[in-house]
Amino acid sequence: MMNSQELTSAVLSLDPKMVALEKVDRPAVSVPVDALVKTMQALHDSPKLKFDMLCAHTAVDRLAAGQIELVYQLYSTEHRHYLMVSCQVSRENAIAPSVSKIWRIAEWQEREVYDMFGVRYTGHPDLRRVLLDDAWVGFPLRKDYKDDFMLERPW
Amino acid sequence: MGLITEKLPPVLEAIPGGPAMLTSIDAVINWARSNSLWPLTFGTSCCAIEVMMAAGASNHDLARFGAEVARASPRQADLLVVAGTIVKRMAPTLKMLYEQMAEPKYVIATGACAISGGPFIYESYSTVRGAHEVIPVDVYVPGCPPRPEAFFYGILTLQKMIREETIRKPGSRSKPVYSALPPGITLEQIRKELIQNGK
Repeated sequence: MMNSQELTSAVLSLDPKMVALEKVDRPAVSVPVDALVKTMQALHDSPKLKFDMLCAHTAVDRLAAGQIELVYQLYSTEHRHYLMVSCQVSRENAIAPSVSKIWRIAEWQEREVYDMFGVRYTGHPDLRRVLLDDAWVGFPLRKDYKDDFMLERPW
Repeated sequence: MGLITEKLPPVLEAIPGGPAMLTSIDAVINWARSNSLWPLTFGTSCCAIEVMMAAGASNHDLARFGAEVARASPRQADLLVVAGTIVKRMAPTLKMLYEQMAEPKYVIATGACAISGGPFIYESYSTVRGAHEVIPVDVYVPGCPPRPEAFFYGILTLQKMIREETIRKPGSRSKPVYSALPPGITLEQIRKELIQNGK
């Protein structure tokens, strides 16, 4: 059982391009998008870390910075530690590699992020909408989404 | 039952003194229908928990109103309790279930989401603003979520509405009722207050 300091330093030693995030309540690192798959594979395979479970994968729309932050919450059932991996992609050209070859559950989680934010995943076997109708236009959880059905608040 | 409710009224109205007997038959049929409502719980959100507690918890017990037989199939139920938010994806299913129920059928819309979209009226891309956009509603029970006692008040209001029906005019509905409004206040006042507070 490693404490969070050891865990963070062990994770950072995997890839020099990773950066530990500050002001978070759990071990968290940030990865550039071009090193994402390699780092995730290493996190999955490394015997000391062994993150074999992708608990959740969501996205945050950072409108001011013009980026969408992809957030992966990893968990190791063997060592019982958690890690949060964050990755920024640009809003105009939101393309990220898929990690569904590493964790199969990522197939549906990435479909949900595509459905809500419009992030396209390369290497995904079946990228289509999962919550909304297939004919829906637009990506609702983006902060600048508007359509005719939505009512604006009167105050 | 269909023999009494469909074939009997024209026969009785023809003979002298017939309509008086009809009112007695009405009383019996309405009493039987109102005291044995079989709900089809359509629990989508948090209100479903409140309806489940109203139905099952031992303090609040739906069995004393005769409504504890909650059937899962719409073919066997006659009261559709819309408990929870209706989203665009759920609306066709709700309509399909309502159409599969046999007459006479009643609808209670419990909770703010089923009445008007609730907390999700504004800035929501998928919440249908009220169950009445999809199916006709008889009783609205306000609350978020309504306490089981408020839900029982809605059931009692529905029972009162059923007792005013008559088999001479089957399927005619009285206007929908907002149950559990405190006395001495109207809907217009509540609406004005809400918009005022919102500002």
